[in-house]
Amino acid sequence: MSQATTRSLERRLRQMRSRLLVRSWDYRQRRHARGVWFRLRRVLADASEAYTIPRDEAERLMAEGHRADPVGCELEPRKLLLFASAERVARIGSARPLAVRLGAELLAAECLALVPFDTAQGTGRSPSE
Amino acid sequence: MDPTGAGPYTAVVAFRDRLVATIRAARPVLEPRGVLVVGSEVPNLLEPGAAATLVVSQDLDVGVPVAIHGAVKQRLGQLHGFEPSPDEPSVWTPRSPELLELNFVGMDPAQDPAEAYVLEDDRLPLMVFGPLSLVAPGPEIDIEGTRVPLPRPAGLFLEKLVTDRTGEKGERDLLVALGLLSVAGPGDLDEIDETYRRLRPELRHALRSNLTILSLLGPRAGMPDPRPRRADVAALLRRLEAGDPDRS
Repeated sequence: MSQATTRSLERRLRQMRSRLLVRSWDYRQRRHARGVWFRLRRVLADASEAYTIPRDEAERLMAEGHRADPVGCELEPRKLLLFASAERVARIGSARPLAVRLGAELLAAECLALVPFDTAQGTGRSPSE
Repeated sequence: MDPTGAGPYTAVVAFRDRLVATIRAARPVLEPRGVLVVGSEVPNLLEPGAAATLVVSQDLDVGVPVAIHGAVKQRLGQLHGFEPSPDEPSVWTPRSPELLELNFVGMDPAQDPAEAYVLEDDRLPLMVFGPLSLVAPGPEIDIEGTRVPLPRPAGLFLEKLVTDRTGEKGERDLLVALGLLSVAGPGDLDEIDETYRRLRPELRHALRSNLTILSLLGPRAGMPDPRPRRADVAALLRRLEAGDPDRS
């Protein structure tokens, strides 16, 4: 075995250890700004469907008692992320379905209505791809 | 578009043929007790009849416990279908396009899951990956006369989710974890839960973080579509978080 090939394994080991150091750093900062992406993904992971909705509809949902998830206040510009049942979201005529992933459309939306898995009944809309 | 004009079914059959031929050709190094097939091919092999419809990969990962490294090394001379890669010492490349690469990785059950080290050797040096310490021997299946030792799905699932990976390879590995979740039974989920609770907080967080990434991935050619399994991923996240004091 040449020295060059052993060096390639050692290089991979160094790269791996560097990534682990970064991961540890991320972990220590998980409750600070750096952890916001995990928190956003965690909220979205509970959503079977996502819709962009107008501001007035989001405010109506809040007036009905739907609580905005705090992670929306950690983003700039701020977002309103609200969980609501599939039946309730189906009554928002202007709601536009989005694919549940960290895509440009979802990140650009100011107000999101999210349908949790346990109440998802289907709204007759398909997330855009 | 497939330039050969072959459809998806033909592509799956051709891939399964390569996988089976590779397993047959790799038999000498799969025989020592303790060696496990540990990579992306495991979900394929756990399908009924090893149908190999889930994940398309170009290598077969052979997990070598460091305690039997010598026994595996002795058998390298019997690998007539492969030759050592000049670039990567733990990879053996196929002499024929009908075979997949072999990628040898080291396993050390006593190792910290967050660490790695190089097992120096003149012929078969190994990168010993800490996350593979979570992997335990599982079912042995017979592929056309060759005994194939597989890991328990729970351990390999956890290994895929605590291993720090980036980019395209990282996302594909998460989809391998999804393939394992799709073949996991209630007992496997219990084992995932039990092992998760023994991990230290940083690794538990890494695992949950990777589950959220998996939940938001789009479909990829040749890989399981994560979208129909999002509810399963969400349920697993909730299960793991239940009673976890460090779930933020």
